[in-house]
Amino acid sequence: MSRPSPSLQGRLVGLVVGLVAALWIAVTAFVWVETRHELDELHDGHLAQAAALLVAQNLREIEDDAPVDAPLLHRYAPRVAFQVWHEGRLALRSANAPTAPMVSAPGRSASGFETIEIDGHGWRVFATRGAERDVQVYVGERSDARAAILRAVLRGLLAPLALALPLLALAGWWAVRRGLLPLRRLGDTLAQRRPDALLPVALDDVPSEMAPMLAALNDLFVRIAALMETERRFTADAAHELRTPIAAIRAQAQVALGEADDAARRHALEATVEGCDRATRLVEQLLTLSRLEAGGAPARAPVDLVALARTVVAALAPQAIAHGQDLGLDAPPACQVPGDETLLAVLLRNLVDNALRYSGAGAAVQVRVERHGAQARLVIADAGPGIAEADRARLGERFFRVLGSSASGSGLGWSIVERIVAVHHGSLRSGSSATLGGLEVTVELPLSAGNVRAA
Amino acid sequence: MRILLVEDDPLLGDGLRAGLRQLGFQVDWVRDGEAALRELRAQPYAASVLDLGLPLKDGMDVLAQARRHGLTLPVLVLTARDALPDRIRGLDVGADDYVVKPVDLHELAARLRALVRRAHGQPQERLQAQGVVLDPAGRSVTLDGVDVPLAGREFDLLHVLMLNAGRVLTREQLEQHLYSWGREVESNAVEVHVHHLRRKLGSALIRTVRGVGYMLPRDAAAVP
Repeated sequence: MSRPSPSLQGRLVGLVVGLVAALWIAVTAFVWVETRHELDELHDGHLAQAAALLVAQNLREIEDDAPVDAPLLHRYAPRVAFQVWHEGRLALRSANAPTAPMVSAPGRSASGFETIEIDGHGWRVFATRGAERDVQVYVGERSDARAAILRAVLRGLLAPLALALPLLALAGWWAVRRGLLPLRRLGDTLAQRRPDALLPVALDDVPSEMAPMLAALNDLFVRIAALMETERRFTADAAHELRTPIAAIRAQAQVALGEADDAARRHALEATVEGCDRATRLVEQLLTLSRLEAGGAPARAPVDLVALARTVVAALAPQAIAHGQDLGLDAPPACQVPGDETLLAVLLRNLVDNALRYSGAGAAVQVRVERHGAQARLVIADAGPGIAEADRARLGERFFRVLGSSASGSGLGWSIVERIVAVHHGSLRSGSSATLGGLEVTVELPLSAGNVRAA
Repeated sequence: MRILLVEDDPLLGDGLRAGLRQLGFQVDWVRDGEAALRELRAQPYAASVLDLGLPLKDGMDVLAQARRHGLTLPVLVLTARDALPDRIRGLDVGADDYVVKPVDLHELAARLRALVRRAHGQPQERLQAQGVVLDPAGRSVTLDGVDVPLAGREFDLLHVLMLNAGRVLTREQLEQHLYSWGREVESNAVEVHVHHLRRKLGSALIRTVRGVGYMLPRDAAAVP
């Protein structure tokens, strides 16, 4: 937690405050536009009405030649000005009105609204004439008067916001903090856990939003616990499984040490070497299996299953011949499957080796590679005693050995074969061989794309 | 001393059989639980070395059933399972000793001898009767402190008789004690061995119970 990470609380508070502020400002903008519009209408109406009054009044009262300056009666008055022109002469004006016509463009601005500038101030002026066209009236209002009203309205709207926002942020902070309490409690609970404690987390009053996360977390714990248990059992099993060959090596070596008879000593020494080979094989199988279990996708290079089968059969043929076994390969010229050559060789060697081992001396062992639709089919059949159905179901169990067989084995081979087939997305089944009568193992692997078309 | 070795691993079974034979045991070897139970009930073994992970019947079941059948022979469990619950369960089910693989052959032999001795109520390693002292570990016999060289069968016969001092053993029982399977037993082998023992250790040591068998009288004196 040394690096500052984005805080959920900060985000929530920021969002709420930001949203409220944005909404408020939008409302203010709307009010401003509306108010300005209404204000313009209202004030323009007043100007027009005042002009109409002046026009009506002028006709009767102002007959004098000298222009009259109307006094300023209200503090607001300097912002309002008017001129009354009678037959081209200025008859009446407010004290702050200029002596020149407020709207100077003649002919065009006889009546209507106009925005002009007088002494550096903007003015809104309404011009009109009497019915006989001898009276010209200008009524003006300084534009900043309207702006002042607008500003006052805006101030009234924005000032509370400026005051409310920090308060809102504070209240939001507190509320969010309270709302996120269960999340922090979960964090504390997890932080206090020992790394090997994989029991599900039990929290009281979990909010419904957190329940799926907690359920997923607990599910993960259960799966990790199961995985660790499998690993632990595998390690223990593997260690136990190594004890027997080591015990055999030790016993045979001690027999050799204590044996006076040469033939018997030789037998014991040979058995010692055999025991070492077996222990080595077991270790290799354990390593293969652990590598396979560690996951990681295997290579997907095209592998010629036929060439591979030929290599494996050739390697195991001397052993078969020594036991009077008839080992043969039936295969098309080539059969490409995508996969890991090393792993597929391990698969083949395990299956052929097992067939040789368990079929007994003199038995026939047949390896077949064939294409079957989009699948490459690898069949290893033998003329041995086969495996009972009940035992076949247990082949996948690690270290399971078919009872009564005299051959030595770790029982890991099938587990390895299963894993290799699985990582190649193939299928594996065992049955009884129709031709040879013994065990028949069939592996199906997807063919390489090019190979399917060729087939 | 005739023992039954129950071990399904061919290499280990072969090694244990050869090794225990070197150390003076008569060893019969079976590879599965059913055969083990059958042989235990059929033959008077002095003891049994029992593996647990066995084909057909688990070693623990073999042990439990053997005890239910009233078989009291000492059983040494030899196994790869070293977890404490396994050990406890093994001993509770009726094992007399629990040894985890791999095991030293000499230690295994010593444990078997100790189990057999205790099973016969003999607290001491050496057996003694009428001036004859038998050392099962060293496979040596002395008469009044003087070494008496004995042939293997003679020693085994004397060992059985001394272990069962005070009890009459029939000729068939003695043959069963002395010979593991596949060893040819001459019809008068026991008589011949008894004759040799009497010649070497004195005629009064072994009594003949006519028409029944032989007995070595229990020694009244305390064992030194």
